[in-house]
Amino acid sequence: MPDNTEIAVKVEHLHKVFQSIQGFWVQKRHPVTAVEDISFSIGRGELFGVVGPNGAGKTTTVKMLSTLLLPTSGTASIFGLDILKDTNQIRSRIGFTLGGNKGLYSRLSGLDNLKYFAELYKMEPDAINRRVKELLEVVGLTGREKDRVETYSSGMQQRLHLARALLHDPQLIFLDEPTVGIDPIGAREIRQLVREMVRRGKTILLTSHYMYEVEELCDRIAVVDHGRIIALDTPAALKAKSSGDCVIVIQTPNGGQTLNGKLESLRPYLSLVHSSGETLSLHTRTPSKVLNELAPLLEQNVITNIEVRNATLEDVYVNIIKNNVA
Amino acid sequence: MWLNRLPFVWKQMNVQFQMRAMQWFSFGLIVTQPVIFSAVGYFLARAAGRTQIDLIHTIIGSGVMGLWSTLLFTSFYDLRADRREGTLELLVGSLTSIFSILAIRTFANVLLGSLSFLLSLIVAFLVFGFSPPISNLLYILVSLAVLFFCFWCIGLFLAHSPVVSRLSGLFVNYLELPIGLLTGFMFPISLLPGWAQGLAAFTPMVWAFNGLSASFQPGADPASLWKNWLTALGIACIYLIATFFMSKRVQDMIRVTGELSSV
Repeated sequence: MPDNTEIAVKVEHLHKVFQSIQGFWVQKRHPVTAVEDISFSIGRGELFGVVGPNGAGKTTTVKMLSTLLLPTSGTASIFGLDILKDTNQIRSRIGFTLGGNKGLYSRLSGLDNLKYFAELYKMEPDAINRRVKELLEVVGLTGREKDRVETYSSGMQQRLHLARALLHDPQLIFLDEPTVGIDPIGAREIRQLVREMVRRGKTILLTSHYMYEVEELCDRIAVVDHGRIIALDTPAALKAKSSGDCVIVIQTPNGGQTLNGKLESLRPYLSLVHSSGETLSLHTRTPSKVLNELAPLLEQNVITNIEVRNATLEDVYVNIIKNNVA
Repeated sequence: MWLNRLPFVWKQMNVQFQMRAMQWFSFGLIVTQPVIFSAVGYFLARAAGRTQIDLIHTIIGSGVMGLWSTLLFTSFYDLRADRREGTLELLVGSLTSIFSILAIRTFANVLLGSLSFLLSLIVAFLVFGFSPPISNLLYILVSLAVLFFCFWCIGLFLAHSPVVSRLSGLFVNYLELPIGLLTGFMFPISLLPGWAQGLAAFTPMVWAFNGLSASFQPGADPASLWKNWLTALGIACIYLIATFFMSKRVQDMIRVTGELSSV
């Protein structure tokens, strides 16, 4: 928890309810809670990660903090400014990207996009030219700036998004899934840019589906599910909570159906069983006991492969989400 | 202050032209439609046995229809396109008000529509040999300015609707023809039912159109022209003021409903 004087973002009991419509001839509105009683704070210069499954409330939280959505209840402040009352002052101090390839004028060049958005932020003409040139250099688009955005790769478009978010030199940046749909090399370039922003003193709130990404980048991580924060700590602390956890990954030809009886007998030793195709991941603190039971099945070809490894942050995340659902 | 914002005005118009005007849909809207309006108007008027002077009303009316169609479709669809492309959130989340952005965009749309208006007259001149009598150029220019201002006010009013709801574009087609009827482009307004005549009286373009049509007539009555101009401007200003106050409410409303995004 950051010191009060150094707080960039303070969120208290934030709540967002949308009205969803059911029916065609007779329409009924019913409330859908997207964010439920979320509270957290982010220190200046901190890189704060928010992870969670689709529909967990990550983007809604980002949109409320970036003044695009009004919360149903609760309060939040950005550098001490109220998101409800001080909208314009906040907008001048924040930048945001909302993920995917949307959010750019595809028939305009990258240069024209940046200049247009700079005008929307009421920058002076001299400052626009200087800043746009500098940012094109930073995001590695110099030389392609006059090409239409529709000819850019996904990675280039994401880099242009970042440049756009940085135009007015904001102190706080919201990055909503900045590497989604990008190849590994492009994603690595984006992560490098994010690191560079932090090095320049920016505060960042990053949402992502990729655990290795938040583990590599973030100072602290909030795990969100069903609109609530179900875990919040540093990556190391989150992993420590599962210290001693091992993951036994087994391959079975039929997705583990013939293992059901065996798994039932092992249940007291397993904290989580996660199935994906022909792969079963068993989380346990007593790997030797579990391995002893499974080894004979390897000889009988019921199991084709066994691999034992320490729990990663992704395992911790899966554990937290699955236990939350349970 | 305003001079400082001129680059923004230019940049906004440039974006508008590049994104919305330079495509086949707009070509059909701006170029093809006025040709059809002009031809239909001309043949209808001829069939009704109208004289050259009466044709002014028809030909100008077809130009006004071209202008209206262009403005209606561009104003409605460009913000819908912004929502689809995910840029609407960025516009609303910026430091420039949505009212300012739409004001400039609508101005660009009126300029595009004026091309359509001009084309209607050119078609009437080149294809049908119609040459409007220009007895008082000043009257015509003032009438045109009033007409464009009225269209700008109405266009700005309409342009806010796609921000409010994703469904608003469904109604765009229903708005195109009624204006043609209300302006008296095809047949006199006096033939319309009373409620429609009342609606026409509160439509600034109808007064502006009457003013423009009258300003082409030799020996136009200045008092009648002033009445049309001032009434048109007065009603247009009511729309403008209402739009200004509505804009803030719209922004707050969409922040509650989450109607900004494309999904």
